[in-house]
Amino acid sequence: MRKFFAVIKREYLQRVRTKFFIVATVLGPVMLALFTVVPVYIASIPGGSTRLAVVDQTGKVYERFREALVSSENAENDDDVDANSNSGAAANSNQQDRAQRTSELSKAPFEVEQVTLDGRSLEEVKRQLNERVRRSELDGYVVIPPDVLTAGKAEFYGRNTGDIFTRGTVAERLSRAVREERLTENKIDQRVLREASRRVTLNSTKISASGEEKVTGSGFMVVFSFGMLIYISVLMYGQIVLGAVIEEKETRIAEILFSSMRSFPLMMGKLVGVSLVALTQLGIWGLALLAFAGLGAGVMRGSSMNLPHVPPIMFVYFVLYFLLGYFIYATVYALIGSMVTTTQEGGQLAMPIVLMLVAGFYFVFPIIRSPNSSLAFWASMFPFLAPITMMVRITTETPPAWQIILSLAIGFATVVGLIWLASRIYRVGMLMYGKKATIPEVLRWIRQA
Amino acid sequence: MSDAPSLIVDHVTKRFGDFTAVDDLSLQVHRGRVFGLIGPNGAGKTTTIRMIVNITVPDSGGIKLFGQPMSSKLQDRIGYLPEERGLYKKMKVGEQLRFFAELKDVRGKDADERINKWLAKLQLTDWKNKRAKDLSKGMQQKVQFITAVIHDPDLLILDEPFSGLDPVNVELMKQTILEKKAEGKTIILSTHQMEIAEKLCDDVCMINRSHKVLDGKLREIRRSFSRNAVELQIKGGGEVLEDPSLVANIRESGDDLEVLLAPGADAQTLLKRLVASGAVINKFELAEPSLHDIFITKVRES
Repeated sequence: MRKFFAVIKREYLQRVRTKFFIVATVLGPVMLALFTVVPVYIASIPGGSTRLAVVDQTGKVYERFREALVSSENAENDDDVDANSNSGAAANSNQQDRAQRTSELSKAPFEVEQVTLDGRSLEEVKRQLNERVRRSELDGYVVIPPDVLTAGKAEFYGRNTGDIFTRGTVAERLSRAVREERLTENKIDQRVLREASRRVTLNSTKISASGEEKVTGSGFMVVFSFGMLIYISVLMYGQIVLGAVIEEKETRIAEILFSSMRSFPLMMGKLVGVSLVALTQLGIWGLALLAFAGLGAGVMRGSSMNLPHVPPIMFVYFVLYFLLGYFIYATVYALIGSMVTTTQEGGQLAMPIVLMLVAGFYFVFPIIRSPNSSLAFWASMFPFLAPITMMVRITTETPPAWQIILSLAIGFATVVGLIWLASRIYRVGMLMYGKKATIPEVLRWIRQA
Repeated sequence: MSDAPSLIVDHVTKRFGDFTAVDDLSLQVHRGRVFGLIGPNGAGKTTTIRMIVNITVPDSGGIKLFGQPMSSKLQDRIGYLPEERGLYKKMKVGEQLRFFAELKDVRGKDADERINKWLAKLQLTDWKNKRAKDLSKGMQQKVQFITAVIHDPDLLILDEPFSGLDPVNVELMKQTILEKKAEGKTIILSTHQMEIAEKLCDDVCMINRSHKVLDGKLREIRRSFSRNAVELQIKGGGEVLEDPSLVANIRESGDDLEVLLAPGADAQTLLKRLVASGAVINKFELAEPSLHDIFITKVRES
């Protein structure tokens, strides 16, 4: 046991004291800030206003169109009330988020002027306008034909027709103006209509063992970011575990180590040592994130980035399943490290297995729909999928405690089993270094050790 | 020699797949003596050592150390310098030694004292805070030697301990090994360099192609292989050397004459006759066969 701790101590101290670790730990939060705060900030920078001329051949629509364009009010919301209930609260809120964000991006203001024909032909006016667009006095113009109310067609000419935001906004504002004009002609008060077509907001409340709980529909986001966190940390530290296992092979130290201790505590010590490094780094980042959350709240206020509300017990599950997810995949790297002689080789071999973690996401939607199905049960018991699938179940409809305990037990038993296997392969494999092992050889090693 | 052997290797066989690395090998190693495990590369020396230090387990046969069957507990009483040298490249020498000491259950202040003592002894004190990769090969090797002796093991196994060392350090290493021998430790020296084994070992075991070729006390082995020859530097005495009842053959090598005695003749008679003849004798030495010659002879025989 003391030797086991000696291995952990060495792995930990040697890695934590490197410049690379310190730099990465400091740069991590900086990158985090770059990827979270900066995009929100950039999105909020107003672009220049779009100068638009309107040739209104009806003589009736221009005023409404101008108003619609200039007013910053978001017209999209009263356009359609979508009945989006089948994919659950999580998906619903997600969609809402997205719609809001898109409209924000398209909120560039317009400068509108009216151009009348004044007896000239449409062709002549268009020629003049084209000339102005070319000279950059205008960004584009809209031609509203006399029959727009019935035919429902208008033309947009612009320098940058690829700008889908502008085009979309113009189309949408014009249809609003045309629709209102149509309604007026049919003697229907638009205010009445607007009132009548107001959107319904669906608030979801989760009923759990502890009574009613307010849920902001953050389940999917939580699981998704959780999965990403495991994935990223496995990608980051898996290579380090691999390197740590191969290190003694490359430096030929393994022989001394094995003449001093058994291979299982050695392998376990390595895994735990490197993992403590990972957890130290993630812990520092976690604290930094909390600090940012406070600091960034100011920047993010009023934007669409809402920090999901999470009940405290979730943090416990979060940590447990994060550890499981991390360890199960880090162990795969250790196992592969025991078979190969170079890190590059090992990284390639480990990749397909780590993709299992991504495969866990395939189960997210079926499980959200029926969190107590047998598919959900088995998927959350299978150790390589459990970190994602069980977290989905916990956030949607928390399964009985015995299932959670069982899945954790299976998971951590798998970790120990894999390490045991890795230590056997490692010990025998070490005796023939420099040679790439074939699968039958590896199987023989397992029996031999 | 009166006490029981500290290490007994009893009819041990180890196979890797179809390849038999060690075949029915038996050895006895005694404390206070240097035991030479000699043979060419690939003979099975390293595999034998790995079984002694409990890295691998024999397929058949048994190993007993200090009267107990081999186990991981006994590993703490063994110091091992493997042929494949390796240190953690980025670790400082002092930390490195500290780690290996802990792996042998030596810790705390005791470990620090031992590390300092050994670094001083092997003239490495100035390098304590340097990283291993900044050390020369010879220095790295000395550091590794310290990892093998830091816990004051009762059995010290050194696999090719002199390779890569300059003559000064070879001498330093030899002195250290002899000190350990004087302390009553059991020492196994594995090498393919016969000249080194000749100078240091009390007992030898020759292995070739996974089989034991020969073992015993070095002196006895050499005597038994004596070719009844004398190395001579002499002026005069010509007619004695031409006596066919005494001398079978004479070969010149440099200033020396290698005189092969006739069957039944002995060196003492030759010496007396040469002295009586009034010749000036600068060197008269019984030519013992080198381990190398013995090894070649034995391998040819088998």
